[in-house]
Amino acid sequence: MSTDHIAVLKVREALLVTVPSDPEDATVAALQEQVLRAMERHAGKGLVLDLSGVETVDSYFARTITETAQMVGLMGGRTVLAGMRPSVAMTTVQLGLLFPNALTALDVDRALDLLATPEPDGRRP
Amino acid sequence: MMRRDVSQQTTEVTAEEWVRRKEFVGFTEQDAQWLRELRPAADAFVGDVVEELYRRFLACEETNAFFPDEAAVARVKALQTAYFRGLTQGEYGEAYLVDRLKIGRVHQRIGLSPRWYMGAYALYAQLVTPRVLAAYPADPVKGQRTLVALLKLMNLDQELAVTTYLAAREAVISQQAREILEIATPVVQIWDGVVAAPLIGSLDTARTQQFMERLLERVVETNSSVALVDITGVPTIDTVTAQHLIETVTAVRLLGAQVVLTGVRPVIAQTLVHLGVDLSDIITRSSLAAGLHVALDILKLQVTGKRPA
Amino acid sequence: MNQAPGGDVVIHSERDIVGARKAVRLAATALGFGLTDVTRIVTAASELARNIVCYAGSGRLRWRGLDAGDRVGLELIFEDRGPGIADLAQAMQDGYTSGRGLGLGLPGTKRLMDEMEIQSTVGQGTIVTVRKWRKT
Repeated sequence: MSTDHIAVLKVREALLVTVPSDPEDATVAALQEQVLRAMERHAGKGLVLDLSGVETVDSYFARTITETAQMVGLMGGRTVLAGMRPSVAMTTVQLGLLFPNALTALDVDRALDLLATPEPDGRRP
Repeated sequence: MMRRDVSQQTTEVTAEEWVRRKEFVGFTEQDAQWLRELRPAADAFVGDVVEELYRRFLACEETNAFFPDEAAVARVKALQTAYFRGLTQGEYGEAYLVDRLKIGRVHQRIGLSPRWYMGAYALYAQLVTPRVLAAYPADPVKGQRTLVALLKLMNLDQELAVTTYLAAREAVISQQAREILEIATPVVQIWDGVVAAPLIGSLDTARTQQFMERLLERVVETNSSVALVDITGVPTIDTVTAQHLIETVTAVRLLGAQVVLTGVRPVIAQTLVHLGVDLSDIITRSSLAAGLHVALDILKLQVTGKRPA
Repeated sequence: MNQAPGGDVVIHSERDIVGARKAVRLAATALGFGLTDVTRIVTAASELARNIVCYAGSGRLRWRGLDAGDRVGLELIFEDRGPGIADLAQAMQDGYTSGRGLGLGLPGTKRLMDEMEIQSTVGQGTIVTVRKWRKT
């Protein structure tokens, strides 16, 4: 099974990454790599992670996402997790995983809206 | 317990369980043998016994109701005869078990409570006792042992019938309980982008899962940014319930929506503070109406009066 | 009643974690578990498979369907010949959040499943068995 290719798109001054449904560790690590390189090049408002296709979030995934959000933060941007599935949200909560540095939104549209408006206190999960 | 893959038909009592029950009442191979030997005599008196049995059923108002017409009576008498003959067939293994299990299920379906069924057995015992003993004039000891064997088997049959009856009732009750759970946790869209979920009753782990699942799915379905979770109907709040509430709020947030916890009465507020539960991160209000105000605020909406015509 | 599914996979590298997830997803779905429960089971499997990769180097996952009359279940057994867990009580207690890369995430995984049993001997290895049931 080859590593899924991660595409980082530039949309409305932010970066958009659509996360594949069941990424292996190498893919998740590559995602972080790609995002940081893109942030370097585009230094936009932040990152939107489209999680609508994701079926499993385990501790490694959560950790990597959190790290990525932290790094994006250090580079001056905000991170929004978009479209998480109910089953994933419930499991994540039960497992006790948190995403302290990321905002959340129902879908990519709203995520981009969120990044576009400079809110002093964002919604934090 | 891993059960042998027999068929759907032995779900209430497994083949292994049947063996154990026979052992418990002391129904042995010898008993089976005696009953086999009783067959000719039993076949001779079964007609009488069934007639007498039904005479009593029809005479009694409550049991009479189960036999609406002649045809029904004739059908049931035939079944009863077959049942009785089954007692002396000589083989009391799985096939016998499967057959007898059907009886209890049928009784539950038609609403015949075990009381009548066991009453009928009492009548059976009265009717067969003199007849069985009379079949062994030269060997009263054998007659007695055969009678005991028959009574043991009839007892086992009663146990089976009661077990399946209860199992069928349990299934109905479980189904109703599930339905109650469904009714008790509706999640209603009260405005564009706002859902409200009144929680009624306590929040155990099972109910929380159910509730969370419904709430999250509805939030996604309706594209809501705000979920009002109303706990007016939650009588007591303990650490576990509070924990579950917090989990629910966290999960909704992960989806990208906000939660407003409403219906936090003074008593609940007090308990939560005493329990040391940290709800500082969650917006709370004492009433659903107040929660709606917050929701509209979040959605940047405003309610204005209509201009007079 | 259909034949209960069963099988096993070797867990040797990070790649195998996804393999384990996929196999478990299939098994859980085949047994009729709802989506949320499937997600829980798969996530638990991911955590336990990851433990093998991280702490033992290699190991095995075996799974089988269970049938107990009024309910049906899935059993996962994670086995390795790794260093073993020195303090099991401690491991079952590490904080509510397991996402910090510390510890084995066992309490969280336990919460996702209905039953969990751990046998571990220092220097010899570990067997973690988890089960999830659903009423039929």
